[in-house]
Amino acid sequence: MLKKRFFAGKGKYTGAAIVALVVILLFLLPPIGISRYYIHILIGVFIYIIMTSSLRLISLSGQISLGHAGFMCAGAYTSAVIAKNFGLAPWLTIPLGALLTFILAFLVAIPFTRLRGLYFTMISLFFGMAVLAINELFQDITGGQSGMVGIPTLFGISKIPYYYFFLALTLVCLFVMHRLEFSRIGLTWKAVAQSHSVASSIGIDEARQRIMCFALGGLFAGLTGAAYAHYYVVLSVTTFSFFTSIYLFIYMMVGGVNSFYGPIVGTAVLLLVQTFARGLREYVPFIFAAVLLLVLYLMPQGLAGLPAQLKSLVQRRGNPPEKEVIGRVP
Amino acid sequence: MEIALVSSVNGIVLSAIYIMVALGLALLLSIMGIFNFAHGAIYMVGAFLTYGLAMQAGINQWAALVISMIIMGALGIFLERFCFRPFGGKAFEVIVMSVALILILETAVVVTVGGSNRALPAFIPGNIKIGVVSVSIDRILTLGIGIALLILLTLLVQKTRIGQQMLAVSQDREGAALQGININRTAAIATVIACILATLSGTLMSSLYFLGPFMGDNMLMKAIEVVILSGIGSFGGILVGGLIIGFMDAVLPVVMNPLAAQAITIGIIILILLIRPRGLFGYELF
Repeated sequence: MLKKRFFAGKGKYTGAAIVALVVILLFLLPPIGISRYYIHILIGVFIYIIMTSSLRLISLSGQISLGHAGFMCAGAYTSAVIAKNFGLAPWLTIPLGALLTFILAFLVAIPFTRLRGLYFTMISLFFGMAVLAINELFQDITGGQSGMVGIPTLFGISKIPYYYFFLALTLVCLFVMHRLEFSRIGLTWKAVAQSHSVASSIGIDEARQRIMCFALGGLFAGLTGAAYAHYYVVLSVTTFSFFTSIYLFIYMMVGGVNSFYGPIVGTAVLLLVQTFARGLREYVPFIFAAVLLLVLYLMPQGLAGLPAQLKSLVQRRGNPPEKEVIGRVP
Repeated sequence: MEIALVSSVNGIVLSAIYIMVALGLALLLSIMGIFNFAHGAIYMVGAFLTYGLAMQAGINQWAALVISMIIMGALGIFLERFCFRPFGGKAFEVIVMSVALILILETAVVVTVGGSNRALPAFIPGNIKIGVVSVSIDRILTLGIGIALLILLTLLVQKTRIGQQMLAVSQDREGAALQGININRTAAIATVIACILATLSGTLMSSLYFLGPFMGDNMLMKAIEVVILSGIGSFGGILVGGLIIGFMDAVLPVVMNPLAAQAITIGIIILILLIRPRGLFGYELF
């Protein structure tokens, strides 16, 4: 009896404890002395975590986008071009790039939200390709396929300031996205995703909510892209190709689209698996594909749904309860 | 004048290839409701299989083509049973699945034969003079095979039981199942047809242009463009859509900056999606 009461609160703070532990560990990593190479890899992981999470933010309102790298591209090139050609400091151009991407996403969303389901996915795919095509069209400014060089850096050569900058950026962005998801706005978006007709019938302006959701997702992508430009210093359109968008989508699906932590876990696992398997050289895609197949066949809720799945397996309660489904074509 | 003629011949040949690839994609979309992004990879693997059989194993090139069509058809049955059916119509899971397939197939080709581009010898070497321009016989052959296949497929859909069943499933899945149509078998046949078409067009394309492990990526985009432009559910629609995209690809880069041509094509697709999401000839699927 006593034991039961003692453990009554068990599990309530486990999630928060794990999150805190991971964050502290990440802050302590550079002083412990990991190599430059791994710091570089982790910065990449941070960048893609924001990208994937913002993709999931869009999917909250039932819109699966396959052109998300297009917004990253827009943010990166606006910030880079302004900083390079007008001599503004990266500290100013990064927010400017994010803002301009937000406006772009907003303007684009107005016509795009007329479409739903797979049609929306297709138009977002072609939007991503259109951004690249326009980028290549203005080759003399953007460098096109051969790349753009001479972008001012944020901190100089040492990687450690960048590490803390991107860690902080990731935490802030994730915090904002978490607040958005579990606020009234997030609930509204989920309502729109589940049934747009029911949502409109209770007075939700469906189109407006979807436009807002898409534009906010674009804002985060633009912010990430702008910061990316001033870290990598060399930009090439191939970084933002159709396949980048597809990969972002895959990180999200593998992590689990129904959980806030899904994109984070998915991105980290898939990027780190590729890093640790790099000794296999040309066989790395096989490992990547194997992870995809494993998750697809065995974990319907993605990697983030794994604890719940294991728990119910141990307790022999059969399958875990079906969670709410976000962003599916009915 | 000569340039116009050459580019229109190129346009027609390119259209024939696009139509064959896009038909496979549209078939899977209308019957299973999925976008098979691995279609481009299947197209590439089919071409490499023919190349391997003809150049390495030394089989007659025509026989190699037929054998690789049979092998890829068998792969189609496998794909439907183990890759598409478990996710029954969940379009977004299937996208992940097909990307895994792309990775496996492309990496397998890169590992076994290397990443460099190569070329398949022409099926029938030589040129033919049409008016003032000379056209390689292979192009005429490609066109002929494309037209013959389209007629064959139209007959299959309109005259045979299987074709009528596919039509029924694409119009209403549940209704067709209630009438006693085996949906899974229909889907398997559709996948086999799609794989065979992809193999054939891949082989023809690699004898006309080049053969490389990543040639499927570009073709996938073209096939998606054709399917979106023409809409699904209409055979004739794919035909017209394929001709439009094929001619735009062959003619636009000649008269203007190729990059601008690409932007224009994408712009047109976006406009079509916005104004008429079901495509020029199709019906609303979702």
